[in-house]
Amino acid sequence: MAEVLLENVSRTFGGFTAVDGIHLHVAAGEFVTLLGPSGCGKTTTLRMVAGLEEATGGRISIGRRVVSEPARHVHLAPDRRQLGMVFQSYAIWPHMRVFDNVAYPLQVRRRSTAEIRERVDRALRLVEMDRFADRPAPALSGGQQQRVAIARAMVFEPEVLLLDEPLSNLDARLRAQMGDEFRSLQRRLGITTLYVTHDQDEAMALSDRIVVMRGGRILQIGTPTEIYQRPNSEAVASFLGSPNLLDAVVTGVEAAAPDLSRFEVRGEGWQGIAYGNQSFSCGQSVRVLVRPEDLRVGPISQDVDAAWRGEVIASVYRGARRSLRLRTSAGELHFEVPALTEMRLGEVVQVEAAKSSLWTVASN
Amino acid sequence: MSTLSSNEVATGSMRLGFRAGRLMEGKAPRRLALAALALLLAFLSLYPLSMLLYGSLHTTPPGIAGTFDLSGYRQVFTWPTALLFANTVGISLLKTIFSLLLAVLFGWIISRTDTPMRGALEVLITLPFFVPPILTAMAWGMLGNPQVGVINLVWQRMFGSETPLINVYSYSGVVWHMVQYSTPFLFLFVVEAFRAMDPALEEASRMCGGSQWSTFRRVSLPLMMPAVITAFLLSFIRGLENFESPLFFGTPARIEVVTTAIYNSIHHQSIPNYQFASALSFVIMALMFLLVFWQWRMLRGRSFQTVTGKGYSPRVIKLGSWRWLTFALCMVFFLVSVVLPIGQLLLGSFFQFFGFYQWDMLTLDHYRSVLGNDEVWRAFRNTFLLGFGGASVTMLLGSIVAYVSTRTRWSGRRLIDVLAWLPWMMPGMVLAVGFLWGFAFLPGAITIYGTIWALLIAYVALGTPISVRVMSAAYHQLSFDLEECSRVHGAGWWQTLWRILVALAWPSFAVGWVLTFFGIMRELSASVLLYSVGSEVLSVVLLRMWENGQAEAVSVVGLMMMSLVFLFRWVQLRLIKRYVNAL
Repeated sequence: MAEVLLENVSRTFGGFTAVDGIHLHVAAGEFVTLLGPSGCGKTTTLRMVAGLEEATGGRISIGRRVVSEPARHVHLAPDRRQLGMVFQSYAIWPHMRVFDNVAYPLQVRRRSTAEIRERVDRALRLVEMDRFADRPAPALSGGQQQRVAIARAMVFEPEVLLLDEPLSNLDARLRAQMGDEFRSLQRRLGITTLYVTHDQDEAMALSDRIVVMRGGRILQIGTPTEIYQRPNSEAVASFLGSPNLLDAVVTGVEAAAPDLSRFEVRGEGWQGIAYGNQSFSCGQSVRVLVRPEDLRVGPISQDVDAAWRGEVIASVYRGARRSLRLRTSAGELHFEVPALTEMRLGEVVQVEAAKSSLWTVASN
Repeated sequence: MSTLSSNEVATGSMRLGFRAGRLMEGKAPRRLALAALALLLAFLSLYPLSMLLYGSLHTTPPGIAGTFDLSGYRQVFTWPTALLFANTVGISLLKTIFSLLLAVLFGWIISRTDTPMRGALEVLITLPFFVPPILTAMAWGMLGNPQVGVINLVWQRMFGSETPLINVYSYSGVVWHMVQYSTPFLFLFVVEAFRAMDPALEEASRMCGGSQWSTFRRVSLPLMMPAVITAFLLSFIRGLENFESPLFFGTPARIEVVTTAIYNSIHHQSIPNYQFASALSFVIMALMFLLVFWQWRMLRGRSFQTVTGKGYSPRVIKLGSWRWLTFALCMVFFLVSVVLPIGQLLLGSFFQFFGFYQWDMLTLDHYRSVLGNDEVWRAFRNTFLLGFGGASVTMLLGSIVAYVSTRTRWSGRRLIDVLAWLPWMMPGMVLAVGFLWGFAFLPGAITIYGTIWALLIAYVALGTPISVRVMSAAYHQLSFDLEECSRVHGAGWWQTLWRILVALAWPSFAVGWVLTFFGIMRELSASVLLYSVGSEVLSVVLLRMWENGQAEAVSVVGLMMMSLVFLFRWVQLRLIKRYVNAL
């Protein structure tokens, strides 16, 4: 297993900067996801690691080997990097059988026929496609092609596995199933994995760490919990889920734990307690993040971090739950309640935030 | 960088300059290879083109010292030549309109009605396209001869008429012969356009209250317009280039067009007038350039609209008993354009003299004389040698050019694309005139003129634009991922080229190869200017025999050629069915 190290890596196309000086260290055996909207540079980054795209600045190393360093004219061709890759389109070669597709990486490495047979069988068994070895590749369904692509990427036990939105072409149910299967396979084999997606649920469910990217830069790197609970900016906060973001002013500061502060904040018609890991001083404007799932309706209890009062302006039944929209003096709040909660439009209700659920980020 | 091993430094310093995955390693060898490719293409297109200009200003034939003046162009801009151009344009326009009407009718019948045996009919309708025009021209020369043509003989026998029913040696004869060829050509475009259309678009019109007819007029037809206009222009351009029809049916009736005028002023004058021929060639080429440029402007951005469209299964109109009428219409076209000429060749080959069909005139003499004729055998050998060699070289060149222009981002790829496409606007005859000058201008040690190489070079130049198109279309269907995936999983550039790209594109290569082979086999207008004793090809030998009045021997050779054509067409269809559609 090998680690992957990106140091100040850039890629410009003419005047356009697709990737702008990023630093990333993927530890051996780790599963790291590059997450971001389309055009954020995540795919370009992956392709630079693969060697399909030439970096224009910085240095990329796989294991102890420098594979790309434009300043020294180092650029190792993709076939010499010993990687496995799953493409968004799967790139299953249509003129080969399933077996030949999976055997290809071994054949070009001139392994013996016996070894090829044994390893391909093992790889196909791993993805439960051994029954299909003799099928022509075009006769496979999307999910099956995906399994073949994974088997092919892992058949020669590469040091690093790269995946470019491998689940995006599957339907929702298959996507969840394949994601889980793949993650447990990756854990079992302990392959260093770099994964690209624009789907936050996928990123949360699969990754050891998530790298949130935008405009060719990294916004935040952290575990799924860190990224979701403790975003370092409004951009990261609003990319994951659809939170309420309220304007407020800091009125008091105290240290709650190392690397965590407790702020007293006051907004339009409300005040409360919010936490944060950035330093804000009294009087400073901030944005307060309130996740919809942390709000609940009811008579206000004594000991809450914040509460609002407002008129119900929308109520949508969604089966398992009901989405509400409330107009308060602080702005609109959206949140969810159990589906059978009776709620009339125009009714004035009170909502409170769960203890320690408010988070502050800098306002931009 | 202490972690960098010497091996890696070496690799790095090679400065592997591929970009975005299309990946030939090493910049210097690549530049060298590209330059060689550009030079080769320039020799095939730019060189004859500029030599044509040179020749049009040169007062004496190629290879003879002379001076320069504008007399060639002065002769082009006179009344007789203006008439020549009017003739050429008029004939081509007429035949394009007629064949477009027929093609739309057949396209509709085949793609949108429940006419029986549509699959077979489609093959039959497109068949004339693959028959060398010189064969049907000679067959129609015998069928429609006003004195002894079979059609007229039968007509006169049946109805006791004194006057002949048809005379192919006329304007209508020229147009009719061209229509036989451009109808299948246009049909291929139109039927494709009919099929690429989403039936939901028509259904939506019906749901909005449009009748069948107004749906066709207001939805289907406008949707097809881009494809139809392209086809129309292409067919019109091909009509301007046409040589066989005006040569066989126009010249005897003193109807001259540009191609026959070029041919006649080189071959059929006591003193060949190369300067006029070259000037005329240059002017027609300039006109073609304008047309092609106009077409390119019109098509920009939507040229692949119909090609990459999904295959829909269009709504079929139930014609009831009318479907036998549509079936009959298609069959009549096939009978008249293929069966009749072949029948005539058969008939002609077994009788002592064509036109005199009596039992006691039956003979196998013509077969004996043809089979014992060394010149015919040599022409067969030459044609096949040139066919195999020319098709292989052309397709190889086309594959490389298409690869460079569609799969790489190398600088210089646009130039290569344009150079390879230039011959597209040069009629075979014009290119041949250019090469006549070009070969004469080469240093004395390189003798190409008078050898089989002259023909090979001209065929490769003429075929390259089509081979580039065929291979580009093939490459376009293969996503870059397929190549990149191979690279990432450990295959080198050459390995990827061979195991992925070649392995996936070879059926298209084979289909293109057969197409090019057809093209070479039927080629007459360039061959007739570039052949010399020893390097005759079949079409030239046929023309010479015809001019010597050996119509019966011509029938025998024609039949042999025809059976080859059908064999190759059958192989090609099998290939397409098995491999191209499977991918």
